[in-house]
Amino acid sequence: MCSAHATVRGFLGEIVARAASDRHIIVDMEAGLEHLSRGTGRHVSRLVAVLEPYYRSMETARNVAALAGELGIDDVVVVANKVRDDGDRRAIADFCRAHGMRLVGEIPFDGALADVERSGQAPIDAAPDSRSVQAITALAGRLADEAPSG
Amino acid sequence: MRIAIAGKGGTGKTTVAGTLARVLARGGREVLAIDADTNPNLASVLGIPGEQARDIVGLPRTLMERQTREDGTTKVVFAADPEAVLRDYGVTGPDGVRLMVMGRVGHGGAG
Repeated sequence: MCSAHATVRGFLGEIVARAASDRHIIVDMEAGLEHLSRGTGRHVSRLVAVLEPYYRSMETARNVAALAGELGIDDVVVVANKVRDDGDRRAIADFCRAHGMRLVGEIPFDGALADVERSGQAPIDAAPDSRSVQAITALAGRLADEAPSG
Repeated sequence: MRIAIAGKGGTGKTTVAGTLARVLARGGREVLAIDADTNPNLASVLGIPGEQARDIVGLPRTLMERQTREDGTTKVVFAADPEAVLRDYGVTGPDGVRLMVMGRVGHGGAG
C-alpha cells in the first residue's frame, strides 16, 4: 500500500472518528474517494456529490455515490453546479431519478465566479453577492443539517 | 457533521467545500476543512493567502507506525494524536476555519 495514502487514510480515520461532535468537518475529496477506507466511511455522516450538467460529470457523480455506498456512507446527496437553464435542470433531474440519487440543490452558472477564481481569491470575499455564493450560502444549512435533507 | 465532498475535477466541488466551510464558520461553529485532493486548492477558496498556503506542511509518513498483530503479521496504524497533528500541521484562515492539506503527504521536500 502507498504509505502516503495510508497516512492520509489513517489521519482521516482518526480525526473523523474522534473529533468533537460540535465541530464541522468538511473534506474535499478526490473523485475516486481513494482516501476513504471502509472504516473511515462509517464516520462520514454525509457525502455530497457535486456534478455539472454534462454526461461525464454526472457519470462520475454516479460512481462516487456507488463507492460511498460500498464504504458504508448511507447519506449521499447531489448538488448540481453551473446550471444555466431548464434544459440543464431537466437533464440533471432525469439522471438523478434514473439512478436513485437524491438531488438537494442547485447552484447557477456564474460568470462572476470564473473571474474570481482566476484571481485566486475566495469567492465569499471577492464576490459575496454573486448568484453562486448566494446559492451555496442558502444550501449550507441543509448540507450541514444532522437530519438527512431532501 | 462530517461531510465529504466529491465530484469530477472542474465541477466546482472545491468552491462548494470552501464556501460551505466559511458559511458554517460564520454561523459560529468550529470548522475543520481537509483538502484530500492531490491537486490541492482549497486554501485559495477559503481565502488563505498564497504565501501562507505555500508554507503548509504535509503530514510526514513517520506519523504511521508498524504494529505487530498477535498472529505475527504486521499492520500500519496512525499512531499520533490527531488533535496534536491538527495543531502542528494545520493553518487557520478567515472566519477561523482550520485547514489541513492531505494531498501533499509523501511529497514533502519534493518541491
